Amino acid sequence: MRANELLLFREKLAEHGVMVCYNGYMTEDVLTGIAATIKHQMMVRNTDKNVARGVFSLFVEQVQNVIRYSAEKETSCQGSTDITMRTGLLMVGKEADRYFVACGNMVEKKDVATLRSNLVHIQGLDKEGLKALFKKTIKGETPAGSLGAGVGFIDIARKATRGFEFDFSDVDDLRTHFSIKAYI
Amino acid sequence: METISLQRTERTPNVLFNFATNCFSLTGESYPEDVSEFYGSLMAKLKEHLGLLRKAELQFDFSLVYFNSSTAKVIMRLFELLEQTAQRGNQVLVNWHYDEDDDNMREMGEDFSEDLKAARFNLVSRTE
Repeated sequence: MRANELLLFREKLAEHGVMVCYNGYMTEDVLTGIAATIKHQMMVRNTDKNVARGVFSLFVEQVQNVIRYSAEKETSCQGSTDITMRTGLLMVGKEADRYFVACGNMVEKKDVATLRSNLVHIQGLDKEGLKALFKKTIKGETPAGSLGAGVGFIDIARKATRGFEFDFSDVDDLRTHFSIKAYI
Repeated sequence: METISLQRTERTPNVLFNFATNCFSLTGESYPEDVSEFYGSLMAKLKEHLGLLRKAELQFDFSLVYFNSSTAKVIMRLFELLEQTAQRGNQVLVNWHYDEDDDNMREMGEDFSEDLKAARFNLVSRTE
């Protein structure tokens, strides 16, 4: 991208109401840093407190998903420990009267079917259904280990008062790009 | 057991576990990088202590303004431990503090408390 294209890129983001955009290594330090700016922006914009709390919650769950599950990762040695860095994209913004939090990351193709069916299932549940599934999951009554069954997605569905959407785009034989966008 | 007192950080709550007075509390925000690393030994010590209690009075104050879904698992486990302690004949009081306008935090408290039978549970609204 040439220097003069940066402004165009910025305008494009503004057009879509993007307040925060980050692409690259998604780490706990990145999470902490962006968390502070999101809290600050919500405060400056005088956002309703329940909405601000919801946006923050969607942000934490989505970013922690990327940190834990992105299939685009590099492991390096730092002293005696191996550090794995995972890559993803984050966008937080406001379209018309609704806030959104979106994340994109690579997943392994073999995990797509489970993830997709879990998300479809969660999307079809109402408030009470989500509450019941959330509780069952935090009690450890659902099989652990499967990627999409994570309590994080159920929490996202509960907090996304205006729903969420997701998509899978094939990248190569092994990897698929997964994206999720939740509204509040 | 020695009192455990941890200062809050940006992402972990203030922890006060006073084993002598049986007053326990979690205050602040909780979305640690590694939930088991932060809560693992705290839970183990608490479990050991609660297992030894007989006819004791105990109070646990949850005063969280935000917690992530991994922390929710820990809180569920805490509620289970507290209920078991109450069922063995101890008097257990659980206080769930929430900002008065935080509907979600109030609902979470109600959800967690559904399984409490022997332990007493209070929702405590906090005015800012």
